[in-house]
Amino acid sequence: MTDWNAMSDEEFRTEVRAFFEAEYPEELRHLSHRPKFAEIKHWHVKLHAKGWVAPAWPAEFGGMGLEAAKLLIFYEEQQRFGVNRGRDMGIQMVGPLIIKFGTQAQKDYWLPRILSCEDIWCQGYSEPGAGSDLANLRTSAVIDGDDFVINGQKIWTTMAHDATHIFMLVRTDADAPRKQQGISFVLADMDQPGVDVRTITTLAAETEFCEVFFDDARTPRANLVGEINKGWSMAKALLSFERIFIGSPSLAQNALGQLETFARGRGAFDDPVFRDRYTELALDVEDHAALYGRFADQLKRGETLGADVSMLKIWVTETYQRITELMIEVAGPDGGSIGPLQVGNIGVDVLASFYKARPATIYGGSNEIQRNILSKAVLGL
Amino acid sequence: MTMIQDEDLRLLRDSVGTLLERAGGLGRARRVRDSDKSWDAGIWQELAGAGVLGAAAPEEAGGLGMGLTAAGVVAEEIGRVIAPEPVVPTIGLAIGLMQRLCPQDPALEAVIAGEAMLAVAWQERCATGLSDVIECRFDGTTLTGSKDWVVGASGADRILVVAEGTQGPVLVRVATDATGISMQARPQSDVSALWGISFAATPAEVLAEGAQVTDALANAVADTTALAAAELVGLSGAAMALTLEYIKTREQFDKPIGSFQVIQHRAVDMHIMQEVSQAAVREALAAMDHAETASERMRQASRAKARACRAAQMITREAIQLHGAVGYTDEFDVGLLLNRALVLSAWLGDAAYHRRRWLDAKETEEAAQ
Repeated sequence: MTDWNAMSDEEFRTEVRAFFEAEYPEELRHLSHRPKFAEIKHWHVKLHAKGWVAPAWPAEFGGMGLEAAKLLIFYEEQQRFGVNRGRDMGIQMVGPLIIKFGTQAQKDYWLPRILSCEDIWCQGYSEPGAGSDLANLRTSAVIDGDDFVINGQKIWTTMAHDATHIFMLVRTDADAPRKQQGISFVLADMDQPGVDVRTITTLAAETEFCEVFFDDARTPRANLVGEINKGWSMAKALLSFERIFIGSPSLAQNALGQLETFARGRGAFDDPVFRDRYTELALDVEDHAALYGRFADQLKRGETLGADVSMLKIWVTETYQRITELMIEVAGPDGGSIGPLQVGNIGVDVLASFYKARPATIYGGSNEIQRNILSKAVLGL
Repeated sequence: MTMIQDEDLRLLRDSVGTLLERAGGLGRARRVRDSDKSWDAGIWQELAGAGVLGAAAPEEAGGLGMGLTAAGVVAEEIGRVIAPEPVVPTIGLAIGLMQRLCPQDPALEAVIAGEAMLAVAWQERCATGLSDVIECRFDGTTLTGSKDWVVGASGADRILVVAEGTQGPVLVRVATDATGISMQARPQSDVSALWGISFAATPAEVLAEGAQVTDALANAVADTTALAAAELVGLSGAAMALTLEYIKTREQFDKPIGSFQVIQHRAVDMHIMQEVSQAAVREALAAMDHAETASERMRQASRAKARACRAAQMITREAIQLHGAVGYTDEFDVGLLLNRALVLSAWLGDAAYHRRRWLDAKETEEAAQ
């Protein structure tokens, strides 16, 4: 087994880049929608054969065992080449959860099935009454013999209609003194009579989000992960790496490249007003990358990131939105047109980019919640 | 950057910061402003003694040879207390020009040691503002024409002037009391002055001539621009700190105003802008130390100034708003910072000017590839 961490950063980057360039299917580059598993299965098979499905997992569980610095490089290269993340909820969330808090039996059973994508996972966190105030969740799991009986509703469950399993936060103690205290992590099979999935059509006319209804659905008590009523702190522990990932410059960088291509094709760079607005955005992206680099260096030195990393997400998602808004303006009378707009022999789907940027300031902790966090934890207000 | 360099920079930051704090911090800027002096000669000597003026200058000339990164550390600390001494113009322009064009001239060491002070006159005014061409003429012995936006002319021993000679550009040196000189102060919002200077057959001494003068000037101006950006970073950091302290203590409706979400979110946006600005300006200075082309140095300098001007203006203006009515009084220090930010932003080009330059440089570099 290769010890990737022993390589220099540059060697590792070259290796990762070469693999993506050689093996990643051209038709899947920079997908603007979230694919179903069937659409990307041929890529997953290659990735699995290479042993690269789970870059962050320890090698003993079938991962690459990458340290933070190498992991950042891996993701940077993935995003640079437009490699789709695939159906990675199992890899990003369930695996780390089980590795950290699961029993040996859970590890032995679930982890190989995640790597092979035999099971495809979705994340059941949000509920109609529990969005930013996630701890307010009400979906209940009540012990009945060897099972939990689950009742309630999850929402914004990404790709639930293409998942075989759900990992979810449920209320197991309705009488706990603080609402964060009665929450547990359970795993459940989606393929049962008590589970009903309905897709939600988004502004972008896509159906990547779902509602999931539980009506006396059952899951074995063996599918409880970690201690009962300790799910909240486990969920928070899972988010540590996501917090820099969600603030990475790549989405904004890609959008800026798209804006440049489109604006050059449309002659907008002859307009001094456009030039100034473009430059402002380009520098917003470049200067954010400097701050991102500071946090990445912290990770590389083995330090844990503090709450101040939320700055990255706020800045980059808002910049990303402004870039796509400027693209709409450059499109002029085509600003509301569905589908790619031709500039030379390249098609730029301005509207799709605009839509894709909207939820960025909402998901992963809305930017307002992020500001609350910074205010309290960093500014001491 | 190696660990040793990081440690050196930290020590430099501590020693400059401590020196300026001991001298009176932000309060000193007010005292100097309300006195009849432009700056404090004693502090100038202390700064020079601590090696501050030679941070970026080569060791052969008595400098520390630590590059622009180190000069940026100095500039941030200067900005944090808005020290009135012309540290950035001296490091960037006076020393920057001499170390490139006449490194053997004894005046260079004297400036670094704080024994002499040189002002640099290079910009010229035309009907619409800043002129693109140099019209000030040097005929081989005397100088005739006008310069503008000169920093620190009143306290300088001599003035370095970029002029057009008979065979192209020249750098000359004139005494401040030479014949034919007249100087006019343009008072600035921070009560400093920029000077308009005119020369009528004023005797001048040649230091360098030819295309190298143009190149050295472009590089020295790029350095100074980036250092002014670092000065702005220090300044906006101070405005942020004052504001945070104020909203934590000022009470209305029986609570600190910093407990209200609308104030919290505005403070967070100021903080993020400050952190982005500091990271970008430090990265730009480091990139300039390693840049391979003049164009890249200029582009990084413009990037730094564009960001720092924007951040300082946003932060100082928000700071006034969050201070409420007292922010509009002369008594509160936050106003000193706003006034200094106006001057530093306008000097050597504001954010819009540098965004233009940045994109022009980027396009030129891309076209050349």
